[in-house]
Formats: sequence, structure tokens, C-alpha cells
Amino acid sequence: MRKNNILSFAAAAALLWSCSMEEVPYGFYSGDNFYKTEADAESALMYAYNALNYLEYLRGIWYVGDIPTDDMYPKSDEPGDIHMLENWTVNSNTELTHYYYKYCYIGINRANAVIERIGNSSLQEEVRKRVVGEALFLRAWNYFNLVRTFGICPLSVKPISSLEQTTSPLAKDINEIYQLIIKDLKEAEEMLSANKVFGRADKAAAQALLSKVYLTLASSVDYGAAGYRNLSIDPEETYALAAQYARKVVNDYPSLYGFDDDLRHIYDVNAPDGPEHIFIMSTDRSGTHEGMYTKIPLQFLPNNSSVPIFIKYSDGTLQRGNGNGWGVFLINDDFVENSYLPTDKRRTELIHRTIYDQNGVEVTPSPVRGYYTSKYVDPDFIGERTSARPYLIRYSDIALVLAEAAGPGEGYPLVNHIRSRAGITELTPGMDKASFRKAVINERKLELAFEGNRLFDLRRTASVTSTVQEAASLSEDEAAFYPIPQREVDLNPNVPSSNNNAK
Amino acid sequence: MKKLARVILGLLLLAAFPAGVFAQEGMVKGVVYDVDGSPMPGVSVVVPGTSSGVVTDMDGKFSIKAAAGSVLEFWYLGYETLTETVSQSSQPLEIRMVLSADVLDDVVVVGYGAVKKSDLTGSVGSVKMEAIADLSASSVDGLLQGRAAGLQVMNTSQDPGSGAIIRIRGNSSINGSNTPLVVVNGFPMGDAGALTQINTSDIASVEVLKDASASAIYGSRGANGVILVTTKNAEQGKTTVSVKHQTVVSTLSDKVDIWYDPLLMAEVSNEEMANAGLNPPYIGQTLGGIYYPSLLEIQNGEWANTDWVKLCLRTPLVNTTTVSVNSSGSKASLNLNVNYYNDQGIYKKDAYDRLNLNAGFDYKITDKVRFSSYNVVSVSSRNVSNGLEYGRNPLWPVYNEDHSYYLAGPTDFSHPLIALEDRMNKTAGRDFLTSGALDWDIISGLRLHTQLDYRYKTSLQDIYEARTTSQDAHDNNGIAKENMTQYNEILTETYLTWNKAFAGKHNLSLMAGHSFGYEQNRGLYTTARGFVNDVLRNEDMNGSDPALRQIYNDGYYVSKLLSFYGRANYTLLDRYLFTLTMRADGSTKFGKNNKWGYFPSGAVSWKMHKESWLADLRWLSELKLRASYGISGNQGINSYQTLDRYGSEKYWHDGNWVTVIGPGYEAGRTGANDRYFVWGGIMNPALRWETTAQTDLGIDAAFFNSRLRLTADVYYKNTYNLLREKYLPLSSSYDKIWVNDGTVENKGLEISLDGDIISTRDWTFSAGFVFSANRNRVLNLGDAISSGLSTDERTGMLYEVSGPAISMFNQNASILAEGQPMNVFYGYRVDGIIQEDENPGFIDPSALLDRPGELKYVDLDGDFAISSKDRCIIGDPNPDFTASLNLRASWRHLSLSVFLYGVYGNDVLYNGYTYSPRVKARRWTPDNPTQDFPSLKSNRQYYLSDYFIQDGSFLRVQNITLSYEIPFSKKWIQSIRIYGNIDNLYTLTRFEGFDPEVGLDGIYWGGYPKFRKFSLGVDLNF
Repeated sequence: MRKNNILSFAAAAALLWSCSMEEVPYGFYSGDNFYKTEADAESALMYAYNALNYLEYLRGIWYVGDIPTDDMYPKSDEPGDIHMLENWTVNSNTELTHYYYKYCYIGINRANAVIERIGNSSLQEEVRKRVVGEALFLRAWNYFNLVRTFGICPLSVKPISSLEQTTSPLAKDINEIYQLIIKDLKEAEEMLSANKVFGRADKAAAQALLSKVYLTLASSVDYGAAGYRNLSIDPEETYALAAQYARKVVNDYPSLYGFDDDLRHIYDVNAPDGPEHIFIMSTDRSGTHEGMYTKIPLQFLPNNSSVPIFIKYSDGTLQRGNGNGWGVFLINDDFVENSYLPTDKRRTELIHRTIYDQNGVEVTPSPVRGYYTSKYVDPDFIGERTSARPYLIRYSDIALVLAEAAGPGEGYPLVNHIRSRAGITELTPGMDKASFRKAVINERKLELAFEGNRLFDLRRTASVTSTVQEAASLSEDEAAFYPIPQREVDLNPNVPSSNNNAK
Repeated sequence: MKKLARVILGLLLLAAFPAGVFAQEGMVKGVVYDVDGSPMPGVSVVVPGTSSGVVTDMDGKFSIKAAAGSVLEFWYLGYETLTETVSQSSQPLEIRMVLSADVLDDVVVVGYGAVKKSDLTGSVGSVKMEAIADLSASSVDGLLQGRAAGLQVMNTSQDPGSGAIIRIRGNSSINGSNTPLVVVNGFPMGDAGALTQINTSDIASVEVLKDASASAIYGSRGANGVILVTTKNAEQGKTTVSVKHQTVVSTLSDKVDIWYDPLLMAEVSNEEMANAGLNPPYIGQTLGGIYYPSLLEIQNGEWANTDWVKLCLRTPLVNTTTVSVNSSGSKASLNLNVNYYNDQGIYKKDAYDRLNLNAGFDYKITDKVRFSSYNVVSVSSRNVSNGLEYGRNPLWPVYNEDHSYYLAGPTDFSHPLIALEDRMNKTAGRDFLTSGALDWDIISGLRLHTQLDYRYKTSLQDIYEARTTSQDAHDNNGIAKENMTQYNEILTETYLTWNKAFAGKHNLSLMAGHSFGYEQNRGLYTTARGFVNDVLRNEDMNGSDPALRQIYNDGYYVSKLLSFYGRANYTLLDRYLFTLTMRADGSTKFGKNNKWGYFPSGAVSWKMHKESWLADLRWLSELKLRASYGISGNQGINSYQTLDRYGSEKYWHDGNWVTVIGPGYEAGRTGANDRYFVWGGIMNPALRWETTAQTDLGIDAAFFNSRLRLTADVYYKNTYNLLREKYLPLSSSYDKIWVNDGTVENKGLEISLDGDIISTRDWTFSAGFVFSANRNRVLNLGDAISSGLSTDERTGMLYEVSGPAISMFNQNASILAEGQPMNVFYGYRVDGIIQEDENPGFIDPSALLDRPGELKYVDLDGDFAISSKDRCIIGDPNPDFTASLNLRASWRHLSLSVFLYGVYGNDVLYNGYTYSPRVKARRWTPDNPTQDFPSLKSNRQYYLSDYFIQDGSFLRVQNITLSYEIPFSKKWIQSIRIYGNIDNLYTLTRFEGFDPEVGLDGIYWGGYPKFRKFSLGVDLNF
């Protein structure tokens, strides 16, 4: 009896010893219990899209794309590092570029996870192609932001899931990053079909982005932009590639994508899937936290002590907007008054200096501190929650890419279409290719103002220091890229402490 | 020597006896011998029921007048009381004393067993339950303050039902728990501090395991020390029923710090606005919808002087009643203890109610097999109504003329009467615990113990914020919440104990066992907003706006712990004692590469007084040296922290919300308004427990037949592999990963001294002194860069901020700095107030700080500017030592005890010091050029400086208890005991806030004064 008992005790102990102490995740997903079904694949892909919606990345559209340029400036008492961007004193510790950089890689890692796990899954080929194609597009999108903002940066093409994988190697040159982007987009183009869905990218988006990538390469080399001088790339051949892909976008999908001839309708938050939509951020005011909805209008609109404001258009219509705006993003007086023709609708309809009450009576004394734009107004806002969404790629942008890349022949009608929509005269005819390209870049400045493109247009044409007053004391090399954030330099041994990208 | 001592004690005894009256009685003579046969002086010899008594002389002899047939009683502390009937013969009596069992065989509970106190090799502190039985607290933990050396107890909250902060031998973890494990009847119940489900009157003993030899048997949960609680067993063959009731009335020990004079308040308010270059409000004007009367209006008495304190606060009562039944027969015993506890908070409606049932059963199945069971049912409810604004502007009336509540403008949501009516926050808790154990004496010396424990705990919280109670609730048309938590735990423990003595020289005792524990935590937190009106509160969550309903957390955590443990005790010649323990813990929480942790310990002890060369020192009752070393762990890791964890968000896809999932998980927030995500979720399969290696040297000594007892320990604790978050390169897409890195040390000295100074039949006087000193130091915080450490610009000291951010200073007050104690304060130095025409020694470019009436910051780096380089360590919240003195005196059935508790050498940061009305009233003005208080300026940004740091040392008359026991010889009632006590009678301190007993971080947050509690209780024993 006793012996038996001790034996059974020992047996029980041995059994328990072998009992697994492995931890089973409960209530959350991990690499082990995900990527199994088509729904998983879609969900994982949307997670990669969702990286674009985080505050730190979303606001970077203007922090990086417009604040440092000649079109926008921050209100003087806005706290934080925004003034470093405005004044061209960004360093490796600047918080806003730190966050922008970080979210590029968050988007990349999420896309990498989809590419790796869905790409190697046994899901239906049709599903795999669509999902992986879009993930490739997103990876390219994020790397394109990185390379234009920071230059040579670490390259990661596999999902990171262990400590050993966290120090990615630095790209050996800028071309390596561009080649990855181009390869990803070409594969994406092949895998994807035209599929216009608000909140995701399709074949046209891949072609559009590819045309922008080729145009950036071509013009950077053409203008001798810092960082691109040693590339063995023929600019005209590359312009031709840019034109080739832009042409597909402009011409191949007449039923899906085209010009929106109602200027204000382009920016109607309730019509995000208009003809100009190629790729747009996807948020909605019914969300429960920021990222699901946005507060973009608050960044632009003046503060009217929480009383909703009304914007008056030339036809007398009133548009309601948030009354508790912060008015952070202000438009340079000089830009408004001296870049646009006085009758340009993009000036008269989309840029304002006064606010009105619901009866159309101007609010006085006016709390407006400078010019503001009505490109991001949600009349149906709920408290601070709005549906305002920035375009990430817009049809007119690609039309202008085609015009610039292809030159005057193909370009004049496109530019003139955009100008006539804005109610202004046609471009002076008969320009040579170089002058025409400059004119297109000027048209981009007017058409795509406050849409996050300006800095990259200035950089690829090596004209930051000659255009932006605050950068006048810098060399074009110094203005070409922002420094890699300090935490990356400190913790990734592959990133040199003084990374001078502008070679 | 021993004889001399006994004579002195005897003389004391004589003084205590009134002179006897002797008549018609013969003289009885005799000699009293000690156990070893030697004559025993100092033994009291009395005739019970009379006042006659003597003590034995140096040779143990006595003579006393006693009639034949009467009974003599021989009494000496620590010995059995003997009786002898006086016979007719005149033969001298020979009495041989016998040691009482409870001195030698005082059994101390240790992990997975019990040992005789004299055989302890580790450092274990025992708390005398009778010393704390009459004190009032919601759980036994809070009563342990000052009762054991090395045990630090802080009662920082005065909310009803609140627990205590408990530490054994200092803080050793940064991100893990620092709270000792509490074990009730062998069932580990988690962190000590709120053992509310066990009735204090049901507790037989509390042991504090301090060194590694004692605590390492608890392995990965033992690093912070262990508190063992053992409940009572009924005495064999007896049935007792007792009823205890106690009522506590609490009063504030000081006046609340508010404005009592509205005119002074208005003057001060005008002055602080004017000094800030802003318009003074009290000039008879309406600002933001609020009317501010002029000083003249106030002076003329046109405005109210509302006593908001009276409207918000009350004199709180605590009522607690316990009924217990203890009965034991030859086979079965029963131990039932039912307690009802009602604790009112000082805020109206703030209350805590609890009903506890503790039931123990014991049944002898056979002579060798015993079944025992312990069961707890605890039902509690808490109604939270704290934070009512008793400091509201006294000028504001309670009501408007139409008897509606007076509100000072459209954004006034702080009317206390509205809050009392329209806010709801209540929590119902249920805690069930059951454990069954089987003990089987297989053969002589071999015993099997097996135990199964189960615990189920649940809480349900109901919250409603009506639209009248906050801006948020107003904007959202009411906010309702229902939060549920559920906790399940199953634990089995089985161990064998084997005991054997060999050849009278060797004694070997072995224990080996295993345990398996399963814990499951579930939480569901829901919020709804947007109600039509506030009538149904949170009763109809469906009546809310569907778009504003949220399940904002649906947590589920499971962990398993499998352990094997063993202990060997070997005693040679009852002099040399050796203990080895070992525990292996396997936990699901540990990373894949470190599933098993091994925690060994060893101790040696030498009973020197048993050596022949010390045996002659008869005054020396005990002298024991102890030494131990061992390793224990701290499971600070949360479930799933070692796995890769995916995040989940919502994405607006084609007009619908879809759930999106992938790598990267929100591990926290940072930045202003917590707007930025901190990304975690990357696995660290190497993650493991924090490890503490501890060395302890101790001495136990007792003198004069154990009437004076000393225990002293010195220890050194080194805690390494601290759980820390390491930063990752941004390109990894993760911000942080949990790693083991960093070291903290604690070293200290503990002394406890107890003396039975007077000990006679009628008089006793005893004193206990406890002293603990701990020195804590951060040795290493890991790699400076990847840990994100900051560097002090003048000294190069590496540090990181810790603790809460303090809005007054717009920064964290405390830091963890290498080479410094944990949580030292870091900021500027201040040298008084800048006077008019005085050069402050620095220039402020904004011309704000260098003006008269400002704090005179010290320019440490000598650059004539005040910058971050002028910061240094300005205070240490860790005390130099704590000490307590417990005095008890009794005369017959009357007893008095006085308990003093003191803390010395800790700094306290007085947050909000210059905002306090008391301080504001004494402000610097050109006419009052004080060096102590700055001028008033409403928009001044204060830097954290030593101006706000005060000496937190205090000496408190913590408790005085007087009790009287009325014995009855009646059958149905045995005794009635009545007692009264005063808690927090008087505090001697230089601290200017209400009470320097703040949390471990030394930050004082203000609030109302500490209670002075008056208790009255009665115990009836049937």
C-alpha cells in the first residue's frame, strides 16, 4: 500500500515535470495563430494600410511636405519642434522627424509581414496576388517617403520578430533603395488589377507611384540634386519611364480615374471616391479614437472660441467647420498674394482669411491669424472628430507627372486642363522642354499646395535654398535630407554616427 | 550571576506585594530547585486567595506562614506554575520546578512546515497577535507596523477599506512588485497589503520570513520576503463562543487647510493676479460667467462664508462585530469566525462594508490520517464618494434664491452636493476561498501532506457620471461604466516530511514536495455615453448612443506555475544546525529559453549556550549565531510578455469598420496628452525572473531565564537581472523590448529587544523595542543608451526619471540614479527668497526669476544663469531608520499598552506647498520681507527644488490601549473584556503638511489631516 503510494506519487511528479510550461496566447493574435485564412490576409493587409493613419505619420504629410517650404508656416506659439522644420534647424533629435521615420518603418514591417506570411501561404493564388501586391505597394510607398526625406537608410525586407533582427543593415547607396521600390512596384503592378476601393491601392496606384518614383529619379539627376549625382542613370530615359507609367494612369482607366472638373468637389469629405481618387487616406468621423477619425481641420481652421465657423464661397454658399480649431498651419501671405493670379479659383475658393457666422455675417473682431485653406473641412464634424482625409495620390498629380516627364507635346493639354478648371488662362505656348518642366513644377506648387508634395518637388529640382527664405543660408546639399534620428544612430551599429547622405 | 539577578527580581516582587497579615498559621519552610537540581532563587511562593507571599532567597529557600491544608503556589516566569498542599508535618518542602512548554517549544511556522523557535536557522520575525488584537484596521497587514524588525508598513490612505504598503528589507525592483508574498495556511495569496478576507481575530500567528534561508523555499515569488499567516485551531476538548464588538470614532487631528477668511482669500487672490500682470478678479466684476465681488462687498458681509467642510465631511465611524465559535472534540474540531465590518469614510456617503465568514474544520479519520479544511467567504461593497470639493470658494453660496444649487458659471462642475447626488461609483466584491488538506502519518517520522486550494474572486463596478458632474459627462450626455473582473486560482501542494534522530546525536529532517498552480484573470470593461437623461444611470446601457458604446478592455490572462522543492535540516548534538533548501520553478510567464528557475539556499546556526564552556553562565539563557545565503526570485513578468504579440485596430475600409491585425502592439503611450503610441510586442524568449541573492548574519540571545531577549540581523541583498525596457532602433518598428538588466542592492541592520521587566502574579511590565535600518542603492541601470538614460550635465551621473509626473513642476520629481538610493529627488537648490535690492547671483533672460520675492535658485555651475545644469540630488525619501517601542503594563485584570513608532531621516516632497492657504497667507511682500515664503504670483512656473522638500522624520504616539477583563465563574460566561484605545494620539515632526507618513516615493499630495481614532470595544467569552 505504502509502496504503491510512493510510486504513484513519483509517477505523478514525473508527469507534472513533463507537463508543458509553454505559454499559449489567449485573447490576442501572434505569429502562430494568424495568417491562416483569406480574412486574416485581408486584415493583416489593412493593418499595414492603417500605419498611415497614426497621428505621427499623418501630420508628417504637412510637417515634412509643406511646413519647411514656401507655402506654409506654423503659428508662432505652437509648442514643439515644428519650428525646427520651419526654420531649417532640424537635427537628429527633432521629435517630428523621429516620429515620421519611425512610422515609415512601422508601415514597412507590417507590409513585410504580409509579403512574407501571405506570400508563402497556401491561400488561393488570386487572394495571394491581390494581398501581396498591395503590401508591395505599401512597402514601396513607405520607402519612397524615407528615401526622399532621409536619403540612405536601413533596409528591411523581412518581418522583424526577434531581438537579433532589430538592427537592419544600411542600404549601400540610394540606388539600392530605389531599385527595391521599383522592383516592388513593378511586381505590384503585375499582381494587381484595377480595383477602385476607397481606402486601398490598386494597379493604377502602383503605376502612379512608379511614375512618381521615376520622375523623382529623373529630375534629381537632371537637376543635380544632392545624393543623386553619382547615379549612373540617364535622366531622359528615366523621364520616359515616368511618362510611360503616368500615361497608363491618365489614359487607361477612363471610367475609374480622371479629372474632377468641379474644383471644390475634389475636397468634399463626403465624396472621397471621386474621379481624382487614386489613393486616399481612409478614416471616418464615426471612429472612437484619433487615427480612426482625424482632427486635420483643427490644424488648419482658426479658433472661434468653440463656436462653429462658416466659410463663405464666391457663390455665396456657406460651409460649416469646427469652431475650436488650433490654426497651426498658416499659409504664407507672399505665397497666396504673389503666386496665384487674382482670379485663380485655387486662390479664391480654397484659401481664406475671414470667417462668418451661420447667417453669413463676418465674425469681428476676427480671430483669424493668417490665411488658411479649406481643402480639409468637414461640415459634419462631431466634436473634434472629422472625416477629413488627405489625398496620398491624386489624378491631377499624376497628370502633372506625365506633363513634366513627357514634355510640352503631351503636357500642354494636361496643364491647361488643370488651369482652365482653376479659371485661369492657358500656359504660354511654345516653351522648350526645360522651361515647360519648370512651368509644370510651378503648376504643381499651385495645384498641389498643402497636399504634402512641395518639399519633395523642391528637393528633386535642387531649389530648396533658392526658394525657401528660412533655408537661404544652407547649401543645397545640407537641405537635401534630414538627419537620421538619433535613436537609430545610437542603437543600430549599422548606421554611422555622422551620416552624410548628400554625396 | 543568575542568582543575583533572581534576587533583584525577587526584591521587585516583594515591593509589589502588600505586607501580609499572618495569624494562627504555622511557618512552612522549603527549598525550590531548578530543573537541573540547583537551588532556584527568586521564585514567588504565595497562598492563593490571600495576600501573603514571599520569594525564595539566594539558596532557593523560603518560609511562609500558611495553615495546614492550604495550598501554596510556586510561580516563576517561563516555568509551569506548581501547587503544593501544606501538610501537617513540619518537614521542609522540596519543590522541583518544571519549564513551561510554551517557552521551549514555541513552534514557528515556516514555509512548508514548522520548526521549534530554538531550532530556527533563518531570519524569521514573529508578530505577537495579542499586541495588535485590539487595534482597528480593515486587514491585519496594516496592523503590523513596527511589530517586526525589517518589516516596513505604511498606512498612507485613509479611504475606507484601504490597505497598507508593505515592504520587507527595502525596495529591490524597479518594474516588478516590491511587496512581500502573503501565505495563508499554506496558500499563497499574492501581494501583502490587503488581506481583507481573513478576520484578524481568527489569526493565530503571523511570521515574517526575511532572509533567503527562510524565503527561498518560495522560489520565484520569495525575493520580497514572505508573510505567513496561520489561523486558529480550537483547543482540544473545549468549546468557546465569543462575541467581540468595536466602535471607532475618527476625528481629524488638525484643521483642514482651506480659506476660513474670505476677505483674506480675495485679497491674496487679487495680489497673486496683479503680481502676474493680470487683472485682479475681486473688484466686483463678472469673468467667464462668474461674479467676483469687490473687497468692500465682502467686508460688508454681502457675500456668504459657506462652510463647505461641514457639507462635505463627517465624523466617520467604524463598527466591527465578530462572532466566533471554537469547538474541539476527540475526533473533530470546528473553528468558525464571522465578522461584519463597516467603515465610513470622512466624505459623506463614502463607505466600505464587508461580511466575512472564516470556517476551519478538522477531522481525524483515523489515528494516522487527519483531514482539515479552511474556507473563506468574503462579501464586500465599496461606495466611493471621495474627493468632494471642501475647499470650494467660501464666497459662493450653496443655493440660489429659488433653492436650486448655486453654480459659479457654465463650467462649474464641482458643487459637492451635486456630486453627492449625481455621481455613482460603487464596487461589489466577492472572494471565495476553500482549501482542503490531508495529513497522513505513514510511519513514525514520515508524514505526507497534500493540499488543494481553490480561490474565486470577482468584482463588479458600477459608475455613472451625470451630465452635471463633469465637462466630459456634460459633452457626452452622461457616461456609464460597468466593469467586471474575475479571478480563478487552483493550487495543489504535496510534500513528504521525514524526521529521524540517530544515536542521540544527530537529528535529520527532510522535506520534499511539489506544487502546481493555475491562475486565470478575466476583465471586461465597458463604457457607454449619450443618454437621453440621467434618470436610469448605468442601469440601461442600451439607452446610450450606439456609436459611443465601447468595450475598451477585454482582458484574459492565464499563467501556470509548476514547482518542486525540498529542505534538509540536520542538527548535530542539538548545537550545530544546518539547513539546505532548494526550489525549482517552471512558469508559463518565463521566456522559452528560461522556463525553469532554480533557487537554492543554505544556513548554519550554532547554539553557543549549549557548549559546555558557556553552560556555567546561568544568566545566559540562549546565545545562537546564524548565517545564511540564498537566491530567490521575483516574477515581475506579466503573462504573455515573452511572446510576440500582435496589435489590433480598426480601419475604415470601403465604408465599413474592419478589424485589422498585425505585428506591433500598443504597449503604452507617451507625449503630451498621451497622444503617441509606444510600440511593443516583440518577443524576448530569454526573459526571466529578477534574482535576489541575500546574505544574512544573525544573533539570538536571551538572558535571565529568557526575560530579556535580543535578536539582531545584518543582511546584504543584491537584486540583479532587473526587468527593464530596452529601446530598439526605430527601423525595427518597435520602441521597446523587455530585458533583464540592472542591479539594486539593499543592506541593513535589524534589532529587536524584548524584556519582561516586572513579572509577578499581579503586576507585569514588559517592553519591546524594534529597530530597522535599510540602505538602498541603485548599482546599475543597464546600458546607458539603449536604456534611454539621461546624464547629469555637471557630474556625469546616469539616471532615469521615475514615479509620477507632477503638474506643479511640469516634470517627474524622482529619479533612479546609479550610485544613489531609489527614487531620490532631483532638482534645483533654493537659498531663501530674493529680497529687494539683493543680487540673486544669476540673471534670468526672461526677467521673471531674478526679481524680489522669487525663490533664490542657486547657480551651481556658476554661469550666472539658472539652467538644467544647476540640478542636483535634493532629497532622499528613504528613511535612515525606523523604530518602535511597545510598552505593556498590567495589574491584575487591568492592562495598559503604549505603542510609539518613529521614522527618521526621510525627505518628503510637499507637492502644492505654496498653493496651500496657510502658506499663501504668509507670503513675501515688500512689507513682509520673509526668507521663508515667496511672493504670490498666479502664473509662476515653479522648478522642482529643495524648497519643497521637508524632513519627514516623525515620532508618533501611535496607540494607547487600556483594557479591563472581568472574570466570571458562572457557567455560561467566562469573561467580559472592555477596552478603549486612541490611535494616532500625537505626532512629533517638523513636517508642515498634515502627515509625513506618505508612500515610498516620499511625495506628499496634500488632502485632509490624519485621523485620530478613538475606539471602544467589548469582548464577551462564553
